[in-house]
Amino acid sequence: MREKQERYWEDVQEGDELPSLQFPLSVYRLVMAASANQDFNSIHHNSEYAKKTGAPDMYANNIFLQGMWERTVREYIGNAGVIKSLRNFRMRSFNTVGDTVVTKGKVKRKWIEDGEHFIEIEMVSENAKGISVGPGSIIATLPSKRA
Amino acid sequence: MAEDWKAAWQPMIDAVGKDFSDGKPIEGADVVGKGLIRRYLEPLEFDCALHYDEETAKQHGYKTIIAPYSSLITWAQPAYWIPGKPLFTSDDRDAQPTNSPVSDPAANIDLMPETSHYFATNIEVDYLRPIYVGDRLSKVGLILRSCIPKETSVGKGAFMIWESDIVNQDGEKVAVYRIETYSYNPHES
Repeated sequence: MREKQERYWEDVQEGDELPSLQFPLSVYRLVMAASANQDFNSIHHNSEYAKKTGAPDMYANNIFLQGMWERTVREYIGNAGVIKSLRNFRMRSFNTVGDTVVTKGKVKRKWIEDGEHFIEIEMVSENAKGISVGPGSIIATLPSKRA
Repeated sequence: MAEDWKAAWQPMIDAVGKDFSDGKPIEGADVVGKGLIRRYLEPLEFDCALHYDEETAKQHGYKTIIAPYSSLITWAQPAYWIPGKPLFTSDDRDAQPTNSPVSDPAANIDLMPETSHYFATNIEVDYLRPIYVGDRLSKVGLILRSCIPKETSVGKGAFMIWESDIVNQDGEKVAVYRIETYSYNPHES
């Protein structure tokens, strides 16, 4: 089991960048993702079918792409962080098989509300053609050293 | 008229704010389970002990293992196959199942013009409670929040925003889920 260091709200500064993650998209992985999240729409695992719908090839489904953002954020906030909301998870272009999705995040703001310590992380996914998802954000709470 | 296809969407535009569901919860196919969470983590290579180690989850204030937040809709999704109802009826290479829980939210809505394809374009979620191992999630409501006809690179159709509540087996609201979809007919090649 991988132990993660907990991150406190006081340790976070607006503008802090999250470590990027890479998600290479093979047919194998897209099929595995469809099975894992139960989105079996053929556009996500069948190239010929996807092309008939106007897409360039089979492409990653939205739950898989959301998971990429969640993993990126979770590795930053640690296990004590709590994810509160997802905003503007806009899929701008297809993340097709044979490409690699790279997730990037930056702390946009931090604040205290009703005793909870919030951060908003601006997220994007990029592929070979540029930004493919976002910019959107994940809002989370972190533990405070003062609690 | 070149813009006639846009006029066909007016009944949907007029219906913004309407709940198109019958008000009954639509139950997810599976109880949230450790094995299914493990499978969810695999393609993401998502190593977070909250999702597989009960002791770690309890140390952080949860009653047991929690599912990833991004898996919300996976648990609220009904089954593909219903016993007694054939699912696969054609050996055509690209044949589709007779039933799909990931079909267009707007499917079977009479007000909507006929479209052949759809995909999701935007998601927004408010997470109100953790998703625990042992939970059974349901989707409640299907409120049309927006409808904007638009021609895109793949075809002509409309962007629509749909809002549903996700509740657990005790009727507690777990999340508010909004999905924007693009329903369209592809350009003629």
